[in-house]
Amino acid sequence: MKRYLVLVIVLSTICTDLFAAEAGMPQLDPKYWASQAFWLVLVFSVLYISIANFYLPKIKKNLDNRENKIKEDLDEANNLKILSEKKLKEYEIILQNSKKEVTKILLESKKKLDSDIQNKKNTIEKEIENELSKAQKEILELKKNSINSINIISQEIASNIIEKISGDKLNESSIKAAVEDISKKNVGKYL
Amino acid sequence: MANNPMQQFSVHKIGPEIKIAGIDLSFTNASLFMVVSAALIGIFLFLGTKEKKIIPDKIQLVAEMFYSFVAKMISDTAGSKAKPYFPFIFSLFMFVLLCNMVGMIPYTFTVTSHIIVTLIMALFIFIAVTIIGFLKHGFKYLSIFVPSGVPTVLLPLITIIEIISYLSRPVSLSVRLFANMMAGHTMLKVFGGFVVSLGILGGWLPLSFSVALTGLEILVAFLQAYVFAILTCIYLNDALNLHH
Repeated sequence: MKRYLVLVIVLSTICTDLFAAEAGMPQLDPKYWASQAFWLVLVFSVLYISIANFYLPKIKKNLDNRENKIKEDLDEANNLKILSEKKLKEYEIILQNSKKEVTKILLESKKKLDSDIQNKKNTIEKEIENELSKAQKEILELKKNSINSINIISQEIASNIIEKISGDKLNESSIKAAVEDISKKNVGKYL
Repeated sequence: MANNPMQQFSVHKIGPEIKIAGIDLSFTNASLFMVVSAALIGIFLFLGTKEKKIIPDKIQLVAEMFYSFVAKMISDTAGSKAKPYFPFIFSLFMFVLLCNMVGMIPYTFTVTSHIIVTLIMALFIFIAVTIIGFLKHGFKYLSIFVPSGVPTVLLPLITIIEIISYLSRPVSLSVRLFANMMAGHTMLKVFGGFVVSLGILGGWLPLSFSVALTGLEILVAFLQAYVFAILTCIYLNDALNLHH
């Protein structure tokens, strides 16, 4: 700024003839000072009053509105975010619960199935056992019966054979005793 | 006449002579450009606040930028206590800026290039700040002249210097703006005169200077308005928040 003043002074000394017409600065002529002061105060007062009472509140209100709107939007976005997180958590809990339930159901049905199979197996095995014991009894019965019938058949055969060879009829009871003795001796050999 | 670089600062009467109590209060070209500047501010702010949009249009954005610019300037320099003075600082900044800027248009009159105008603004600020200081702090406001942490031997000297510097505030504030405006416009006029006098052959150099100076002067016009406003904020800060 000092540079300016120096330049002006230098230039004004160069062009002194330009200043000859109106020497000095019009700023220092007090003729219109009062007028300038009056109009400055008037114009500035009007400007100040209109700015302070009319324009600035409007700008401020608008800026505040915008700030509030942005804040509200941000708050809403935040709320929505929290809500969505809550929902996500709920969903995850539901998913977990259902998963637990599924495994439970799976386990239960498996257990049931297992016990069912076991029961069926048991009953079938029992039946088989019954049948088996029955069959064994029958066989035993048959064995006993067969020994008796064999004894009888052997007696008859022996008496027949003796009759045919010797022509005599032997005592039936002695034959019977002999056959029984032989069968008793040999029963282990055949049966 | 036309070649005189100071002729652009001369004040002349427009319309009838107005005399109140023997004082000449006629409407002059200076008054006209005050009204023009104020009207431009009014129109600009009117357009800027006409529609209250959430997403601002260009002129609304500029108006809001000025608002937040001045608001930030005040809160940075004078703190939150200076909020009630925001409309005044805003009006002051806009008025000085527009007067400077309107003065950059050729054939216009630069209101702020007159010492009386800047002196009245500076004196008003000085007196107002002093009154605010005494109202807020009473006689303790005088402690502004006694900086803390100064050796007792130097204290009288420092106090005298502080008083002088305080009293020279309106002078420095007004002369800074006035001298900058006057010097810049004189320079523009002088270089413009050189362009004419050197003619088609030699006029190109001063012409290029003139173009560069115009850019510089627009910068200075903004800068001086900013400096004027920020110094007001600093003085206000001294009065509101005693002790530095």
